[in-house]
Amino acid sequence: MIIKINLLFFGQAADITGKASWNFSGITNTLELNEKLIENFPGLQTIKYSIAVNRKIVRENTILNNEDTVAILPPFSGG
Amino acid sequence: MIDKKKHKVFVDGAIGPAFIADSIAKHSTKKNIGAHSIFLGQVRNDIINEKEVEAIEYTAYSEMAEEIFHEIREAAFTKYSLTCMHIYHSIGRVNAGEISLFVFTSSVHRKDAIQACNEIVERIKNEVPVWGKEIFSGETYQWKTNS
Repeated sequence: MIIKINLLFFGQAADITGKASWNFSGITNTLELNEKLIENFPGLQTIKYSIAVNRKIVRENTILNNEDTVAILPPFSGG
Repeated sequence: MIDKKKHKVFVDGAIGPAFIADSIAKHSTKKNIGAHSIFLGQVRNDIINEKEVEAIEYTAYSEMAEEIFHEIREAAFTKYSLTCMHIYHSIGRVNAGEISLFVFTSSVHRKDAIQACNEIVERIKNEVPVWGKEIFSGETYQWKTNS
């Protein structure tokens, strides 16, 4: 089964990709997702970001399931 | 009496001084409180490459931010003996000189309120998915970084 994920971009990542959200399919984990993202948006290599899967930040390669929401989060600057 | 009522953290635009004054006034009925600690974050007119920051425009990953704010609240109530706690953060445009973060803790004795307030502010800066875009005069901008 080909899984489909909902991608969200925030802050500078949204500027670079020109998108706030995107549907992405055909990847199985966050490492693959990251490679595909950089292929599509080379500008992402110029910034630091974390990846959140279903609103939890993941530090290691994480298996993705169908309909997961994955967010690309540049360093936070609230307050 | 512990007030753990939840309210919406994000407010549109700046947090007004009258709102802050009103929040303080509301606590006069809670006579077991002996200390309040308040942190107010104000937007600063930094000069970056000879351009002055006119405002910060805040955006957030709201669904995730609400979960983290909830975790921060629960952790503070567990660690410190607090009577009540309020957190407000701006979303959208806040001009230089205006308030964008309001953290308000109350306790019987001062140490709990002061330490909890500090810890909550640090955690908000580090853990909550909010981004500030520093708007310069002339509509150019750069993304803020927290120091």
